[in-house]
Amino acid sequence: MNRICFLLLYVCYSTSTFAQLPAEDTLTLDLGAPPPSVDLRSYIYSLEAQEDQPLSLQQAASRRFTHDPQLFHTDKRNNGRDHDLWLKLHVRNTGLKDSSLTLFTGWHDYMYWYAAAADGTYTLLSQTGLMLDKGGVERWERYGFPVRVPAGQTRTFLLHIVNKSYDENALMPVLYNALQYERFRNEQLSTYRGEAVVIQVLLGMLLVFLSIAVINYIQLPDRSYLYFAAYILGLILFFALRLESKPYQLSVFHHWPMLKYYWDIPALLFCFYLMYVLFGNAFLNLRERYPYMEQVFSIVAASTGGIIIICFYCIARERYHLPGIIYSYVYLGTLLPLLMVFVALARRSRHHPLVRFFLFGSLCFYLACLGSFLMQIRPLGLISALGELSAPSMLMIAGVLLQAMFFLAGLSYRNKLAHLERTKTQEMLIKQLNKNKELQRKLNEQLEELVKEQTSEILRRKQELEEQRQIQLDIEYDKKLTEIELKAIRAQINPHFIFNCLNSIQLFVMQRDYEYAQKYLSDFSYLIRKTLDFSRRNFISLTDEITYLNTYLGLEKMRFENKMEYDIRVDPTINTTELEVPAMLLQPYVENAVKYGMTNPDQPIGRLTIHFRQLAGDMLECVIEDNGIGINRSKELRTLPKHHQSSGMEISSNRAELLNKMYNTGIHIEIIDKSVRNFTESGTIVRILIPQL
Amino acid sequence: MIKAIIIDDERNSRDIIALMLGKYCPQVDIADTASDCADGISKIKLHQPQLVFLDLEMPDGTGFDVLQGTQETPFEAVFVTAFEKKFLHAIRFSEVEIILKPIDKESLLQAVQTVTRRIEQQASKHRYRVLLDNFNHGKQTSWNLLLPLAGGQETTIHTTAIEYLESCTDKCAFYMDNGMVLYAERNFRHYADLLIPLRFYQVNNTQMVQLSHIHRVAQDSQHIQLNSGAQLEITERRKKDLLSFYNR
Repeated sequence: MNRICFLLLYVCYSTSTFAQLPAEDTLTLDLGAPPPSVDLRSYIYSLEAQEDQPLSLQQAASRRFTHDPQLFHTDKRNNGRDHDLWLKLHVRNTGLKDSSLTLFTGWHDYMYWYAAAADGTYTLLSQTGLMLDKGGVERWERYGFPVRVPAGQTRTFLLHIVNKSYDENALMPVLYNALQYERFRNEQLSTYRGEAVVIQVLLGMLLVFLSIAVINYIQLPDRSYLYFAAYILGLILFFALRLESKPYQLSVFHHWPMLKYYWDIPALLFCFYLMYVLFGNAFLNLRERYPYMEQVFSIVAASTGGIIIICFYCIARERYHLPGIIYSYVYLGTLLPLLMVFVALARRSRHHPLVRFFLFGSLCFYLACLGSFLMQIRPLGLISALGELSAPSMLMIAGVLLQAMFFLAGLSYRNKLAHLERTKTQEMLIKQLNKNKELQRKLNEQLEELVKEQTSEILRRKQELEEQRQIQLDIEYDKKLTEIELKAIRAQINPHFIFNCLNSIQLFVMQRDYEYAQKYLSDFSYLIRKTLDFSRRNFISLTDEITYLNTYLGLEKMRFENKMEYDIRVDPTINTTELEVPAMLLQPYVENAVKYGMTNPDQPIGRLTIHFRQLAGDMLECVIEDNGIGINRSKELRTLPKHHQSSGMEISSNRAELLNKMYNTGIHIEIIDKSVRNFTESGTIVRILIPQL
Repeated sequence: MIKAIIIDDERNSRDIIALMLGKYCPQVDIADTASDCADGISKIKLHQPQLVFLDLEMPDGTGFDVLQGTQETPFEAVFVTAFEKKFLHAIRFSEVEIILKPIDKESLLQAVQTVTRRIEQQASKHRYRVLLDNFNHGKQTSWNLLLPLAGGQETTIHTTAIEYLESCTDKCAFYMDNGMVLYAERNFRHYADLLIPLRFYQVNNTQMVQLSHIHRVAQDSQHIQLNSGAQLEITERRKKDLLSFYNR
């Protein structure tokens, strides 16, 4: 018992300190009552095959094994190459029973378990490994190798381990009894189950992201959604590969475990470099916003694509560890340039709010990666820790999630911006439309105004024309009126005269002086007839005028009992039948001369002369002369108020004007009082000048 | 016998008046004749006649001049003229007799009869003052109008004071703007003819209104309202005519 306790203490000590234990050739145990676990590091001899020179079983058995405890490690270790390892173990059963224990060295790619027979030949007892077992095999049961040693005998075992991955899982040979082995497995199982839950949750979220991206892309065909979806898909594949129901069971891809190699590193490169920059390019619209950065991103994308192809090539050549190395260098090599890119982008963030989402997402992921790397440097050492850059640690998972969320939020924000832009554009469009409408309205108004102006112009012209026509009409009307007036005046032979004549005829009749009455009546009839006749004509011949005046004066002479004499003289040169004078022009002047010519108390007999003369220039002169009191004195004598003035003179003053207006002639009338010329004389001279047409 | 003088510038006229008077009105004694105004005035002053036949237009003046010159001598005048138009209103408004040449027997007899009655009744000579007033004022809007009233009474009104006149069988009622109503012993037609040129308007068969006294012409009914508040009927045709008259 003491020894067992010692051994236990020893194991605990050795596992915790990695102390250099003295090598012992053979493990000596009572297999009937074994300790729960035995650290085998000091009992195991090892042989490492050279790279690219794998050893056969015979070769390995014939080689010399050395004792090298440095081979073993409890955590992952990056060997930087394929690890082809042979382990040899001698076990002696000091117990009384044949017994069996379980050897567990960790999870490795290829494992072959040999037992040496008595003749020194090895037989393969079992083989297993992450890459060796095909689908449908419960690998989990096969990583513990049975160590059967009959009682009191010594047996030799050979374990061949090949790790092709860049990361070698924990390599720690421990011998468990059945109970302890079960306990150990349970611990492992619960750990993996916890991890699986995390990965499942992560996968669920990533699937949600993927569907969001896909749905968004369908709604709004924006290429950044596609890149984002590809990125998420890569991540899903990456993590789905890690989803293990039992440790290293590779439950999802166990049908083809090679995917672990084919996908792991390329997936990281694909997700975090290729798709990342492509997404950034499309998402930030760098082509327009930041062309230089766009070039950088394109170059990075192209080179990442190249690297991915190289990785695939390496994998195809079964150089599985090379992609890991490449990835480490790529990661570390791009750390500083990426930071520079971030800074460059950050400076643009003020004008480009999307940059913030991109930056925060990227930073989250890279810091998470760096964090997990830095956290592992101390326990693993620098080189081994590099593996943690790609290992799905909790921190990195959080980083990945944060990044995806930031990107998704960025995309949503981008959508919002696009929506805003669209709204703005719509508003601008509406504004423009309104403006157009306004413009159209203004144009219409202007047009209307123009039309109005033109209409008013037309109306004005029309009115002008109308006015002109009116004026024309007025003129014509005036002319007609003048003519009518003239006719009226012509017809206006003094009614006083007419009724006085009738009175005289009445008297002769009553006095039975029929001859006189007859003469008076016929003369009067002639005069009235001529007056009516002349009133219809504008011009009459001088002969007619003279006859008319003769008749008139004859009647007047009869009225005034021969108290007047008259004389009508015509120059013999005048062709009286051809000359024409305005009808009834002279009569009122003659009547006036009769009326006032007889009022001169100094002259018992009124003397009236009418003289027609032809002046030079086709001018007919008519002079009516009386020996009355003269126009001035007769005017003085007239005590009548002005409004009762007799029509004769009024007519005479108007007549010439009217005639001149009517016939456009220059009839001139001059009334002279004789006493003005010579005060010894008395009387009036009326001089009428009639131009011959 | 009524002593009369004839004043006319034409001998023919004088002769025929004398001839006709001698023939039809033997009660009229022609004392003298005159051929112009000045002669006439002196003859009137000399003979102090009861009746003067007066020509309107003479070489040295008018019959009015003769009246003017003989205001202190009371006589009745009958105007004899060939053409009355110029002085028609002055004469007719003052109810002075007028005979138109050529003289017909009826109008001569009528005039002489009227004048004889006046002489017999020693009627007021106020009419001649009215005549001269009207004459001297010339072309005016307001004329003096002498209205013969019942019982030989007379009154003088201004035409502007007449609101409207109305036919009352053979009389004519004058509604004055002071509310007085005068009944003239002449028919409506006589005054209608006289007053039409003085902006009077006959609104219906029996009524004539002075335009300046119309307050309102109802648009919707056939009435006109006067300034005094009186309402007169008006026929539709005359209303239109009246309105157009106003618009002129």
